[in-house]
Amino acid sequence: MDLGLKGKKAIVVGGARGIGYSIAELFAREGCDLAITARNDDSVKDSVANLRKYGTKVIGSGCDVSDADAFRDWMQATDEELGGCDILVPVTSASGGTGSLKYWDKNFAVDVMGPVRAIDAVLEGMTERGEGSIVLIGTTSALEAMGGPQAYNALKASLITYGKQLALAHGKDGIRVNVVSPGPVEFEGGNWEMLKGAMEKFYNSLIRKHPQGRFGKPEEIARCVGFLASPAASWCNGSHLVVDGGFTDCTHF
Amino acid sequence: MDVKRQQKIVRPAEALPGGTPIEKAPDPELGHDLIPAERYTSPDFMRLEWDRLWTKVWLLGGRSDDIPEPGDYICTNIGKESVLLVRQQDGSVAGFFNVCLHRGNRLVPEEGVGSVAEEDGVFRCSYHHWAYSKTGKLLHIPDRETFPQGAPPCGRVKPIKVDEWGSFVWFSMNPDVEPLREYLGVIPEHLDPYHMERMAWTRDITVEWDCNWKASVDAFSETYHVQGIHPQLKWYLDDVNVQYDCYDKHNRYLIPFAAVSPRVALPSIIPPLIAGMMEAAEMDPAEYEGPIDGIREALQKHKREHGKAQGKDYSDLNDEQLTDDYHYTIFPNVSLNVHADDVMMFRQRPHPTDPNKMLYDIWMFELVPEGEKWPDRPRHQHFKHGDKTIGQVLDQDAFNLPHVQAGMRSEAFPGLWLGEQEVRLRHFHKTLSDYLYGHNGPGEGDL
Repeated sequence: MDLGLKGKKAIVVGGARGIGYSIAELFAREGCDLAITARNDDSVKDSVANLRKYGTKVIGSGCDVSDADAFRDWMQATDEELGGCDILVPVTSASGGTGSLKYWDKNFAVDVMGPVRAIDAVLEGMTERGEGSIVLIGTTSALEAMGGPQAYNALKASLITYGKQLALAHGKDGIRVNVVSPGPVEFEGGNWEMLKGAMEKFYNSLIRKHPQGRFGKPEEIARCVGFLASPAASWCNGSHLVVDGGFTDCTHF
Repeated sequence: MDVKRQQKIVRPAEALPGGTPIEKAPDPELGHDLIPAERYTSPDFMRLEWDRLWTKVWLLGGRSDDIPEPGDYICTNIGKESVLLVRQQDGSVAGFFNVCLHRGNRLVPEEGVGSVAEEDGVFRCSYHHWAYSKTGKLLHIPDRETFPQGAPPCGRVKPIKVDEWGSFVWFSMNPDVEPLREYLGVIPEHLDPYHMERMAWTRDITVEWDCNWKASVDAFSETYHVQGIHPQLKWYLDDVNVQYDCYDKHNRYLIPFAAVSPRVALPSIIPPLIAGMMEAAEMDPAEYEGPIDGIREALQKHKREHGKAQGKDYSDLNDEQLTDDYHYTIFPNVSLNVHADDVMMFRQRPHPTDPNKMLYDIWMFELVPEGEKWPDRPRHQHFKHGDKTIGQVLDQDAFNLPHVQAGMRSEAFPGLWLGEQEVRLRHFHKTLSDYLYGHNGPGEGDL
């Protein structure tokens, strides 16, 4: 199946490591021109250099999405340098945490306002061109209780709702908005690799809940995001795809 | 070394005036020979240790604040012996063997802390009520006239040397032992800045471990085993950028805490154990905006700024001591992890008769913030290997050691094959060998 991604211009926010990097790599491999950002400028530069091996245009620099002005400027400059944006995947997250109200501020600024501002920056251009595809990243922690009551789970849930609203509002302009909610994903330098060592019992208890006895891999999430982002998924709009290897107990009617 | 990344650990160029020295001691020339396994299993070697080590050196007896009043005493055992360390009227501590000259009964039957203040300062043997003073002098023999040979001529139980340092009571069964301060060498200069006298007991546990006492000293003298049996600590400490220092008899390593091991990739969130350190210092991990590898220094700064308001006086400690683990071995058998806010101390005692067993004492102390009430002293607990958990990290050590001891007895295992990260083991065994055989080392046929 040809995804039809060749020649598209994609922006991955939070694309230097883990799931974000795998999504960026899939786009580059499929022939997209690409821009990525993340908070750490060094790791963005390393990732850009790696992604260029696929021969498309790849640009990127460090940016803190919770700095509204800096991020707006980055999106604007990137949109211009890339020559527009066909595909937007904002992956950025401040990750979970319990015990401090500060996590609400952080997750709101990064997990919610990061994607909201990124979308705001590309909607006009997509509307003008009459096409565009946005994939938001939720989490299975929005669907089932996980790790104690916390901002991450609750605020990620808001993206699922917001994604559906965007899909309804902008479908008429040829813009599709879908959501992918991954279950636990393990990669080197990722949180689960650390928790495997640092909280072994918790880690093992979750592994046992996975029918295949393992966590997901970044590329397994990336392929689903890539599909939904691509013209091959032209009739998917407002969809919410759970990608968790069967981890969650609930039935997603 | 098997690392994923390079990590720069910042240490202050020099210590505060009067602070714990930071500079690296010159590496000793200790060769590469293996340490014979038989030293861990042989009854002969155990006897040699008794004759030339345990009865010759200064040993940790207990905690000074357990015996504040005249007549308060600590009863502690070493090998086949038991001793009494007794607070005197003048505030000093005197000691003598815990044995009645009449029929050999123990004057105090069990290890622990007690007082003879209510007995008019008299230790009275429970068997026939022979009575002894706070210094071990024989005071009274019931029916004295029925001993035509008189009282034992020495008139007292054999005394032992006792002194105090660092809020601890030390003793030696060697009448000719050098003064405690001389024996301790660099230790007071290094550890006084921690003010252990401001710390209160939090745990007092003795576990019978199924290994030789030296296997335990070995286990706590290197960080090489972190990547082996404590994988979770890779997200808590830097087991690669460790400084090893060997002094005259004693040694130490300095290991950065609140840091992620270069053996693993840097995570994007604060590891739980490091978050716990931050929370303990009232630094909200959620408020922290810097990089993960900047936490150690940020935490040092935070504690420096807020310690005083929290009733914690860190003024004698160098910055890195506010986060890092300084681990000392006070020869022969005291291993201690010293931190700004707490001390984890292990006293590793030989079993009275079996080289394959030992007594592992866990003594933990926590800094009591100024103005706060001292917590009640925990009750002493005593149990056997594996009966109860002693915390995840120590359980991991404890689980491993009986297997080490079992392997020591294998004919396929000639001895310990040590690397550079295990230089403190080499230094410990060299010091032990000096006590046992003199500076020329073991002779023909010696272990």
